[in-house]
Amino acid sequence: MNDLGIALVPVGQALLSGVLVGGVYGLLSIGFSLAFGVMRIVNFAHGDLVMYGMYVGVVAATSFGIDPLFALPISFLLMALLGAAQYLFVFKRFVGSATLQQLLAAIGLGLVLQMLAQVVFGADTRSAPSMFSARYILIGPLFISAAQVVAFVVAVIATLVVEALLIGTRWGKAVRAVADDIEAAEIVGLSAQTINITAFALACGLAGVAGTIMVTYYPTDPSKGLSLMPIAIIATTIGGLGSIRGSFLGGIFCGVVQQLTAMLWSSALQDIPLYVLLLFFIAYRPTGLFGLRTE
Amino acid sequence: MDMPIPAGRAIVVQPRPGFKSLLPVLAVAAVAILPALPFVNPYVQAVVVRALIFIALGQAWNIVAGIGGLLSLGHGVFLGLGCYVTGILFNEIGLPPWFGVWAGVLVALLVALVMGSMTLRMRGVFFALATVAVSLACDQLARHFVDLTGGDSGLALRFLGDSLWAAQSRSPTPFVYAGLGFVVAYYGITRIILTSRFGLEMRAVRDDETAAAASGVRVFRTKLLGFLVSAAMTALAGGLYMQFYQAIDPESAFGLGQAIQLQLPALIGGLGTAAGPIVGGALMIVLSEVTNWGSTKLNLVGVDVLVYGLVLLMVVLWAPKGLVGMLSRRRVRR
Repeated sequence: MNDLGIALVPVGQALLSGVLVGGVYGLLSIGFSLAFGVMRIVNFAHGDLVMYGMYVGVVAATSFGIDPLFALPISFLLMALLGAAQYLFVFKRFVGSATLQQLLAAIGLGLVLQMLAQVVFGADTRSAPSMFSARYILIGPLFISAAQVVAFVVAVIATLVVEALLIGTRWGKAVRAVADDIEAAEIVGLSAQTINITAFALACGLAGVAGTIMVTYYPTDPSKGLSLMPIAIIATTIGGLGSIRGSFLGGIFCGVVQQLTAMLWSSALQDIPLYVLLLFFIAYRPTGLFGLRTE
Repeated sequence: MDMPIPAGRAIVVQPRPGFKSLLPVLAVAAVAILPALPFVNPYVQAVVVRALIFIALGQAWNIVAGIGGLLSLGHGVFLGLGCYVTGILFNEIGLPPWFGVWAGVLVALLVALVMGSMTLRMRGVFFALATVAVSLACDQLARHFVDLTGGDSGLALRFLGDSLWAAQSRSPTPFVYAGLGFVVAYYGITRIILTSRFGLEMRAVRDDETAAAASGVRVFRTKLLGFLVSAAMTALAGGLYMQFYQAIDPESAFGLGQAIQLQLPALIGGLGTAAGPIVGGALMIVLSEVTNWGSTKLNLVGVDVLVYGLVLLMVVLWAPKGLVGMLSRRRVRR
């Protein structure tokens, strides 16, 4: 291998890891984006549902001896139920506009969820290896973790399923109708309430899936949910608030930028370019790359 | 952006002459003689100072969020800049905080100007997301540049003992008066803004941006100005924070817990009212004293944050107008 090739190995490694990590960022962002796109709810507690999804994996692995990968459906169902409860008790009254009150309610809810997790699971860092953890695949000079590849594949499948649900089914049509004009949707006989609950539950279930798949290679603690929120916010804004595929690609973009920054500058400052990009997107392209609506 | 308080509430509710107009004077007098009372030990004084500092910070946040309706979730940035700049200038070149704090205010104004001019033309939610991002960026930067900021463990002021020049004191008594001065001044500023044309424009923009623009209000300029005033007030109060606590760290400057402590006074007391942050800030500190006492008794960590989360949730869901809002609504009906 020549000198240039050797110099490019870290770049290739950063790009590859960035895409793999970013796929899961994408998965946790599409739920956040869905809640905003359909109900105009900015759910700051979304990251905490991801964190609970991580603990579902931990409990499955440590208490029941089940591989976290088999806990994915349970995690989806539990978080969807928790999401439906959140919607009914907190967010129902805020549907339609992201007000100061709505954001504050979501932050309060997130803090309560985080502290409950700390009471139940303790503040220690926990992990839940799957059958693919600690296995690595070599591609020439580059190596990737098998758990991350599996997580990426799950994230892609989940995103495609959500896209298919929204585009190809009657339910998806109804969701898009309610998102466009809630009153018109009710006039033609749709129950906005039912549709909103199901959409919100789906968004939260996706957070659960993202968490459980993530814990196979990324240890968790109760503050992890909050620390993932900036990624969801940035991926969604860059991809376009309310756009599913935009958020997914935004997640991949975030992963790549993080890894490149960590390689070229410092891993402690890996998020700084993302924050700067966020400001520039808000100032010059608030609809993001794939934004659906402007207001 | 629909906010719960209709425009002009503070003008509609004129206090009746008599006891009500004496209330602020009595409150100031009560705090002022507090340090002279025999049963008030330094601990109680320190609690009073904490309350006054958070009332002042709440008053500053109230300008942007309560009167202006702007969803700033990252006012910790300006508190942190006020603290860090004051502290670094004092430790590194010995510049006393009397001057250093103004450098902090300048830096805060600069950051607010950049943030505001980039995000305030957009829908409110983008501004809110940007404020979150800037706090997190400040947090990472403060942790990284260890030489300047002390990193994770934070920055401690060089302590010179009792010194007017360095604005330091072993006893909390001077800070009671400094804090009281801040609260009175900020109350005055809030009243002036509420009754001025600028305050009216801010509330018009808050209640209906399109209607305000149609009536000739320069929406972007009004929002930016409100944000700048609030940022400067927060950074200035940050100087007092730094002198009283003698230390600052990334978590207590830019963390979410601190951001919520800056918001709760106005939220509990009443968004957009002059008296709201005072009532709410006092209540918040009482609440935090009780939870601190309770969590030491029960040996639990993080109870205070849980309580803050619950209070935030309860206030937003069930008392969106805050205590002052609830009381003045009753008076209007009668």
